[in-house]
Amino acid sequence: MLSISHLTLTAHLGGQSVEVLRDVSLTLERGKVLGLVGESGAGKSMIGRVIAGHIPTGFEVTKGRIVFDDTDLLTLNRKAWRRLLGRRIAFVPQEPLTALNPVLTIGQTFAEHLAHLGVPAAERRLLMLQQLDSVHLPNPTELVHRYPHELSGGQCQRVLIAMAFAANPALIVADEPTTALDVVSQATVLRLLAEQRRIHQTAMLLITHDLRLASHVCDDIEVLYAGEQVEYGPATEVLRRSRHPYTWALDHATPDVHGPQRQLPTLAGQMPGVSALSGISGCRFAARCPQSQAACTAEPPALAERASGHWVRCIYPREVGARTPVAADEAGSTATGAWRAPRGDAATPSLVELQDATLRYTARRGILGQRKVHNVAVNQLSFRVQPGEFVGIVGESGSGKSSVARLLVGAEQLTSGRLLIEGQQPTGAKALRLTREHVQMIFQDPHSALNPRRSVYRLLTQAYESDRMASQRHPRQERAHQLLNDVGLPQDALMRFPSQLSGGQKQRVNIGRALCVMPRLVVADEIVSGLDVSVQAQVLNLLIELGRRHGIALVLISHDLSVVRYLCSRVVVMQRGNVVEQGNTEEVFANPQHPYTRLLLASVPPADPSIAWPSEIAVA
Amino acid sequence: MFQIISAIVLRRLLLAIPTLFLLSLVVFVVLRMLPVDPLAMLLPASATPADAAALRQQLGFDKPIPQQFLIWLWQAVNGNLGSSINFRQPVVQLMLAAIPATLELTLTGLLLALLISIPGGVLAFVLHQRKREAAADLIVALMQSIPSFLWSLLLILAFGVFWPVLPFSGRVGDGVSLPGITGFALVDLLLVGRFDAWLGALSHLFLPALALALGFAPLVIRVLRSSLIDAANEPYVEVARLRGLSETRILWRHMLKNASLPTVTMIGVQFGFLFGGALLVEMIFGFPGVGNLMIQAVKGNDLPLIQGIALIFCVLMLVITVIVDVLYAVLNPRLRTL
Amino acid sequence: MTATALTTPPAPRAERFPVTRAALRQLALQRRVWVGGGILLVILLLAVFAPWVAPHDPLEQDLLHMLTPPMWASGGSGDFPLGTDGLGRCVLSRAIYGARVALTVAIVAALGSMLLGSTLALLSGYFGGLVDRAISYLVDLWMSFPPVVLSLILLVGLGTGVDKVILAVVLVDWTRFCRVIRADVLVIRRRDYVLAARLIGFTHLRTMLREVLPAVVPLMITLFSIEMGVAIIVEATLSFIGLSVPPEITTWGQMLADARSDMQSSACVMLTPVLCIIVTVLGCNLFGDGVRVALDPRLRLRGE
Repeated sequence: MLSISHLTLTAHLGGQSVEVLRDVSLTLERGKVLGLVGESGAGKSMIGRVIAGHIPTGFEVTKGRIVFDDTDLLTLNRKAWRRLLGRRIAFVPQEPLTALNPVLTIGQTFAEHLAHLGVPAAERRLLMLQQLDSVHLPNPTELVHRYPHELSGGQCQRVLIAMAFAANPALIVADEPTTALDVVSQATVLRLLAEQRRIHQTAMLLITHDLRLASHVCDDIEVLYAGEQVEYGPATEVLRRSRHPYTWALDHATPDVHGPQRQLPTLAGQMPGVSALSGISGCRFAARCPQSQAACTAEPPALAERASGHWVRCIYPREVGARTPVAADEAGSTATGAWRAPRGDAATPSLVELQDATLRYTARRGILGQRKVHNVAVNQLSFRVQPGEFVGIVGESGSGKSSVARLLVGAEQLTSGRLLIEGQQPTGAKALRLTREHVQMIFQDPHSALNPRRSVYRLLTQAYESDRMASQRHPRQERAHQLLNDVGLPQDALMRFPSQLSGGQKQRVNIGRALCVMPRLVVADEIVSGLDVSVQAQVLNLLIELGRRHGIALVLISHDLSVVRYLCSRVVVMQRGNVVEQGNTEEVFANPQHPYTRLLLASVPPADPSIAWPSEIAVA
Repeated sequence: MFQIISAIVLRRLLLAIPTLFLLSLVVFVVLRMLPVDPLAMLLPASATPADAAALRQQLGFDKPIPQQFLIWLWQAVNGNLGSSINFRQPVVQLMLAAIPATLELTLTGLLLALLISIPGGVLAFVLHQRKREAAADLIVALMQSIPSFLWSLLLILAFGVFWPVLPFSGRVGDGVSLPGITGFALVDLLLVGRFDAWLGALSHLFLPALALALGFAPLVIRVLRSSLIDAANEPYVEVARLRGLSETRILWRHMLKNASLPTVTMIGVQFGFLFGGALLVEMIFGFPGVGNLMIQAVKGNDLPLIQGIALIFCVLMLVITVIVDVLYAVLNPRLRTL
Repeated sequence: MTATALTTPPAPRAERFPVTRAALRQLALQRRVWVGGGILLVILLLAVFAPWVAPHDPLEQDLLHMLTPPMWASGGSGDFPLGTDGLGRCVLSRAIYGARVALTVAIVAALGSMLLGSTLALLSGYFGGLVDRAISYLVDLWMSFPPVVLSLILLVGLGTGVDKVILAVVLVDWTRFCRVIRADVLVIRRRDYVLAARLIGFTHLRTMLREVLPAVVPLMITLFSIEMGVAIIVEATLSFIGLSVPPEITTWGQMLADARSDMQSSACVMLTPVLCIIVTVLGCNLFGDGVRVALDPRLRLRGE
């Protein structure tokens, strides 16, 4: 029903022509789901845009056809193409809250959509209410009068799905529909999509970065790398018997929530950006491929069918075997996680401790601001970190975990409770200095965490600017080189600026800066969330090595349980400001006691595609 | 909805009281710093120091400044803003006669400005999208460099001297008297049915209002254009395109409504600019409004009149702010939580 | 394979100050900047070298040659290229000398407003809380007046003279700087690198100066340029009314006021100062606009 053959999209940037998408093909039949999997920059979203006919200026389709219902879309004029959108081809966007016009009610937006579809005015209201009901939204008659900002992300997404299916489309393109949602909404939305698809017999193109999610939800998977299609086949095949080294690495670089511990293999470097593509001859993955040979860089390999329905673009595809856990490394420690445990025993005084900590935000309401509204971010939390220990705090957005991070570094003042650093309570002017020597923070967004006007040298050793004595202890230049080594950056990186670094490199500078004052505890707030899976693995392994080398303790804040399981020996689960469960990571994850913990665990797509997911627990 | 509007109005009014108090105080103090003695103009050349002292006592200038201010304040609250030194009439009376003219001028000017700038802003945006905006941009930049008072002079040169089709002095023609019902010439003349006089008043109003409009329009064009550009980059516009809506529909239904918000805010913030322009425009066209009165007061060091007019401007600005706040709440659903 | 080693292709020759350099490059691409800057430069040169450039003394009255037409019209002569005004003074010379006052007021007043407004904006946006509320209230209070009205009142209190005019402009316009820059400071304040600096041990002062201020400088430059234009207009307005400088000093506004009575006879006497003001303000606006477009938002997104 939809068939893309040999699609090539060329971008004309600054005099150069770069093939942003090269030789991409796929077929989608009625009622089936195809997953387009790739990391950011692989071009998966671009395919969605090409199908919609919304190619950015400077880009053009230089080869290939897109056949939908026996018509080549590329031959259509704008008006005919526009008529298809919304009717035969519908889109479900990534960020539901901003996808609806904030000054129009849900009803007004929906009515406009139905009018565009050609539904007569008299029938619109009924159809609207029917659709909203079919996506299980409570009280549709009242909902149509609400504005988007009054709804939650999950509810908005359901409205968008209702609108998308209202026309009974033949094809739905969903671009990361669950990424911006909370755990419960994710499961609901996925089930909803499956349900609607069954009812309307719609085909779906699911664009996602999560290979495991795709393997559970999709019938077929296509893996993209740097604009090229590297593997294509049935979902279970691609995951369990991945033949392309990239697919294999992608799957193995994702830590597991259950099952045996293993060290994450990493791929050096990162996916080539658009400007680097033209300089690559041959296979675009060859630079990072662990098994690349001379022939790989000579010519781009062709797509070949290695097993029935399973296509791979590789000259030396992997041998198919069961998923073998990578053997533990020389210390044999990853399997047991012994290095992550605290030095000393439970009797050792804790490095940092929060006792009955409460953080409350007050907002003013009312005509003159006379009414106070309280928002409790952290509710009587008690929490300690031993020297050398890696502790993880998990929860969704709004759980208070980021507030805990800020409390630990002293960026927020406690409303009540105590913060103890090595048994002392920091007060007054000494507070900042005490905290600074012991606790440092690594921030989430590498783009806003590094001052763009500072060079890497001045960023890593920024602490020297406020402490004149430091230079006597340790010359600045020397320390900078030391830090570079520690975080695994090349020596010539010193004079570079953040705009010249990749996301992973920026995060390393972030880590290096925190290490400069040799703190005993580092608080890492969602530091790998924005990174590609392959780069994420690099940073995680870096943290392990730093822990081993310097004996620093780490508090990792994350919503990603697999990452926490990989790094941390202890885990704290938070929900709405409260700790619902805490303990040894392996125990908590193997045997969750609290329903919320179970919910979180159930929302992670399992590594084994044969397990049914999303399961019943996740439905709200 | 009504609740929210009344809450906004109430909040502004409550804040207004200390504001007006402080502003009056500031003006009072500044004026008393005068290097020139205001009384010098009222005294004949043959006056003796005793005469001067007597006059000073009569006008109350011999008391200490804080006391003078409190006396003024008390009188103001009771509706008495003192007496103009130069005109020898109560300040309130002078102002009541002049305010309607200024309001008429300013509102007409605003209306004309909107008539020019809304299509102008949309056009500038469309040109920007098509990357053909260089010429339009230059025109707007040029317009922005010409303040209202220069427009007035240019318009007089064009339509008064070179091509004399429109009158450029006064509010109504010679010999025409105004009924004085509401004070607004256009309204009153219609009410009594004197259409030829009404046309005359309109023609007298046209050039000054146009001068004001031309000085204000480029600001609105600028902000409308940039808000439209911002709205065009919003995710919901892209999603609307994916639903198959046409560009024109998206522009008018979705983007304009969102772009109106910062535009309304900007107009509210810059309204003082409009009043300031009215000052000079009235002076140049001889329009008998508050602005003209102010300039005469300033040139004549007429302290009570200056004080009174300053107060009235503050009150006017306050009213505008309230209206803008209410309008903004009506347009923006997100502000409707209290 | 070692997990932490990073192999990268050879780095491009690292440049110093890439953000500033990229900004300057963008700046150079803007035609506006060249045109605006060019205009301002010409006017500046004329003003500085006025005694040598102007054909006559601006105050010299030649009562035999009142209201002579410009030299391209019949009756005009090369002696008075733009003709003479009602008192026989050379229009061109007066225009050139008028530029002196205009530019002096423009530069000094814009500088003063920038310093006052930016400092308060920085303090207000950085510290937040009570400081922010107090300064914001002050700004709101100040802006409750139409600016022209306020400057008139200030001049009544201060008296006449170029320095008083400059002071009046600074006292009125600092609020505009403060509002706009405060909004920018608030955005930058939220960035993680500001918090990171504090955690590393920077004092408030050092954080403000090293981390926040450099990011706001481009906006300050834009506003400075536009403020120059505003100051010129305000000065012209005030001297038109007759409040700004004593008659021995020539200003464009004065020329306008004098020309009103002679409009019927000679358009040139009125048009010259009008065009002078328009062209100079246009130069300021174009330059400021060019700076703004060059530095925002494209560069902001890439660099920050």
